[in-house]
Amino acid sequence: MSMLMLEQTVGARPVRSSRQARYIAWTRIASLVGLGLIIAFALVGPLVLPDPAAQDLARYLQPPSVADPLGTDDYGRSVASRVAHATRVSLLLAAVCVATALILGCVAGVLSAWFGGWVDALLRSISEAFVAVPALLVVLLVSALAAPGSMVALYVGLALVQWVEFFRVVRARSALVLGSPAVEAAGLLQLGWPHVVRRHLWPALRPLLVTLSSLGMVTSILAMSTLGFVKVGLQPPRAELGLMITESFPFYDAAPWMPLAPVAVLFCLTVCLLGLRSNEEGR
Amino acid sequence: MITRPHLRGAAALAAVALAATACGSSQSAASDALRIAGPFEIHSLEPSSDGYFFTRLHVTETLVTADVEGNLVPGLATAWSADEANKIWTFELADGVEFHDGKPMTPENVVAVLQKMAADAASPLADVGVETIRADGSSVVIELSEPNVSVPATLSHYSTGILAPSSYDADGKVEKVIGTGPYEVAEVSLPSRIETVRVADWRGVEPDVEKVSFQAVGRAESRAVMATGGQADVVFGLEPAGRERVESTDGVDMVSALQPRTILMKMNAADPALKDVRVRQAISMALDRESIAEAVLREKDIAATQLLTPTLADWDAELEPLTYDAEQAKALLAEAGWKAGADGTVAKDGKPLTLELLTYPDRPELPALATAIQAELKKVGVQVDVEVTNSSEVPAKHGDGSLQMALVAKSFALISDPLPTVADTFAEGGSDWGTMGWSDPAVDEAVAALMAGAEGEEAAQHRRTIVTTAQEQLPLVPVSWYRMNAAVSDRVEGFQIDALETSWRITDIELAG
Amino acid sequence: MTRLGGVIARRGAQALAVAIGVSALCFVITQRLPGDIAYRIAAGRYGYDMVDADAAASVRDELGLDRPLWQQLGEWVADLLRLDLGRSLVTSQPVLTEVSHYLAATLQLAVLSIVIAVIVGAGIGVVAARRPGGFADRFSSLWVAGVRAVPPFLLGLLLMIVLSAQLGLFPAVGHGDGGIVLPALTLGLSLSGLIARVTRDAVVEVRGSAYVEFALTKGLPERWVLVRHVLRNAAVSLVPYLGVQFVVLIEGVVVVESLFAWDGLGHSLVHAVFWRDIPVLQASALVLALLIVLVNTLVDLAVLGLDPRPRGRAVTA
Repeated sequence: MSMLMLEQTVGARPVRSSRQARYIAWTRIASLVGLGLIIAFALVGPLVLPDPAAQDLARYLQPPSVADPLGTDDYGRSVASRVAHATRVSLLLAAVCVATALILGCVAGVLSAWFGGWVDALLRSISEAFVAVPALLVVLLVSALAAPGSMVALYVGLALVQWVEFFRVVRARSALVLGSPAVEAAGLLQLGWPHVVRRHLWPALRPLLVTLSSLGMVTSILAMSTLGFVKVGLQPPRAELGLMITESFPFYDAAPWMPLAPVAVLFCLTVCLLGLRSNEEGR
Repeated sequence: MITRPHLRGAAALAAVALAATACGSSQSAASDALRIAGPFEIHSLEPSSDGYFFTRLHVTETLVTADVEGNLVPGLATAWSADEANKIWTFELADGVEFHDGKPMTPENVVAVLQKMAADAASPLADVGVETIRADGSSVVIELSEPNVSVPATLSHYSTGILAPSSYDADGKVEKVIGTGPYEVAEVSLPSRIETVRVADWRGVEPDVEKVSFQAVGRAESRAVMATGGQADVVFGLEPAGRERVESTDGVDMVSALQPRTILMKMNAADPALKDVRVRQAISMALDRESIAEAVLREKDIAATQLLTPTLADWDAELEPLTYDAEQAKALLAEAGWKAGADGTVAKDGKPLTLELLTYPDRPELPALATAIQAELKKVGVQVDVEVTNSSEVPAKHGDGSLQMALVAKSFALISDPLPTVADTFAEGGSDWGTMGWSDPAVDEAVAALMAGAEGEEAAQHRRTIVTTAQEQLPLVPVSWYRMNAAVSDRVEGFQIDALETSWRITDIELAG
Repeated sequence: MTRLGGVIARRGAQALAVAIGVSALCFVITQRLPGDIAYRIAAGRYGYDMVDADAAASVRDELGLDRPLWQQLGEWVADLLRLDLGRSLVTSQPVLTEVSHYLAATLQLAVLSIVIAVIVGAGIGVVAARRPGGFADRFSSLWVAGVRAVPPFLLGLLLMIVLSAQLGLFPAVGHGDGGIVLPALTLGLSLSGLIARVTRDAVVEVRGSAYVEFALTKGLPERWVLVRHVLRNAAVSLVPYLGVQFVVLIEGVVVVESLFAWDGLGHSLVHAVFWRDIPVLQASALVLALLIVLVNTLVDLAVLGLDPRPRGRAVTA
């Protein structure tokens, strides 16, 4: 899961020309618009579309029509409605996971850089232990512990796996900032820690955190869909993007709209989130 | 370190390697081997766990076996008989039988294996009340504590396949499967692959197929690709979408047979809500079985109209079929005191009717059917929470009484005779995979009489009693029957599908090309 | 060589701590998992048609599952110290043979995937770096975003449909001949995007640096310059990255294994959790964790070898 940091550090390219800068700005705007549309779909869709669990067994695998813009699945349920619900679940869960990982990682990272010494050593060894334990195992065990179908397991598993990333990046960057002459001067002037956090740490960390969060969202959403594929932690009739893809794939030639819808949402969602990354150079 | 010239070299190398592996794949293996793929993994070599792989592949043989119609025929035993009381059974062993390690099979070998199984809770032989098993000249004698008519059928069960003494390691665990059949094991790679090869000069018979490989493939979509892409000759257990694709593919056909397996809902008749027979009948009536079977299994005609499949001819008693009637279901619920509430869920004394339905993912159709049942029952105001979990939760929750409903796929022919399974299903006081919290004196009496060896018209009467009561009282609510299917390539000739899955009848198969 | 010693000592201590931690964690958690262990093991052994209360009771007797927890853990540790990992509760096979079989399968798959990823990724990266902002560079950005946005299981399904079902090039499953191609290709392509990006950036950066320009003005042919300077320096950022990728890969393997019926560690982990096969679960988890530590150690050593400049407060993986 350390992909994030590396992606972050190597992924940002120095801005070279105004043309490139314009291109990058345009990408971010397009990503924001796309993300906005998907979020709107996830929030409004469930309100206006029919119940995603309502089956009409006589109308299975109907092609798209006015009533069902994306057709029906093998139980005669509305695919559009199921995709909307699945998107909402994915987005919410990913957001909560990333928020948890961000708070944990930030607090731990800043503490580690601020105090150094044994605090740093302790936090580092905890994070090292997390890195060495396969994330998959953590998620599997946590989801086996929880009641079937409970989202808590997925949440705890994914958050535990992700906080290390935030911790490392924040710690490295904070150490640089706190060691800088400006902060030393602030220390001499007795300006106190809130000033240092607000004036020095936050501006330096903010772009990093935006990037890390958007990547974290991508990781969470993909991990969720992957777990859905292995059928971990879900209970019928809940709709989940990965599970929908898996369940509808056998019908790829009979009812192509069924797998296409969740695949398209998943793809657009991740591409938009990737486009959001801040282009601040992370070295 | 990669340079551009090196890069080209490496890319070329990779391409060559990929091409080589590709060419070396399906074509060469296809020529002399019969390639079988199925959904279930080989967890263990122990005969009581997954021994059926080795009986179906003709590696091990049982004393008694079954033909395609399910009639008992001689296996390693040429004849058998019982005393008047059905308590002492004698099995005459065939002579000249050799194990694959070249050693002759002795009655003592057979006794050792059967004793092991009589002590193994997972073998049906442990349930017939064995007192002693001993060798007597060239035969094996089994003495029982209780009369039992189904001993020969029990000895057709795969767990009683006869293994050579050299199969076991020092701890008595099976480390190699060394049997007596026309094929011997060439390689086993747990959990997914078995390869066998024809035994030279086996009792003067030479089957046409020289090599057989079995590959376990868990995902149905992968199996469908194997069937349509000609990567396997016989593929078991395709799901509806895959079946449709096979049917539209040239060079491969679907073969199927109705299995004596019923997908049913086990009801806890001691549950406060379910103990009212009207509630159980309402749940049964709320199920539009035909639509469910059509949508989930793509087979309208296997919607269950009764508990036992019509293929079990002895047990077919011309019952009034179970029908779909949502209005009548609501009326029955109302009669039982469950009135529709504001949110559409029926309630009694302010408590909504919410039931938990347990099922397991080992058979992919089960969670799918559970989802359909959940939606059907919602229409009559019964809220169902589906829990997909490990299959052992069913007996575990039966044991502690916390089960409400469980959707299970119950086979009524674990051995060639359905009687022991039916007897266990309707055992007095319930059983792990049978009734729960329900009993009926007439049924108990009928089961006891049948197990004691009732025959003829008397037996038919007892069987009628059991199935009629079950149809009215619904301690088990049938949902659908089960049709076993296989996609068979055109190069396979003489393939027969066996509803009891006693064997895959490889010895009758001829490979073209 | 003290730094070398330092790395080995630190990683060795980590390996030991991880081994103890993972074993204890697995043991405690499997004991706390819902459901009755004896029933779960019986289900794994005998299948859903044959699992019942009697079978569970006989499993409980045979394995002594009703003994106190500390006694069971103590026995396991004592066996481990004798290097005896015991037998699988479900398959009755020695755990050592079973897990080494799974490990071999997973390593085979992982190594081939890395090779494919490096060939594809580095290839695209080097080509893209020749003209930053050019057509190839645009294509590489697209590739990077594309493979990042498609989860491996989806890519696997697509490859299976195209290469196996439609074109019939490779078998869709199995350990037979050519069965490894599709799973390895799936993982390799998934990883190639990021490798392409790392390579491209490193090559661009080093190319613009003073010593490469100096070498070029010295009149050395460009190809040699690229080989000697650029790749060596690009490797410095690529190697730690490969290590991390390997770890990610080991985890991504479970999905691909399930899709292509490839029996590796991921597959065994999922099964062991589902069946409560504690010895196999512990051994698989242990092997995975130690593998991760080992890869990290090798990466540390490789970085030391490639880039002998002393470091300050570096944050390494």
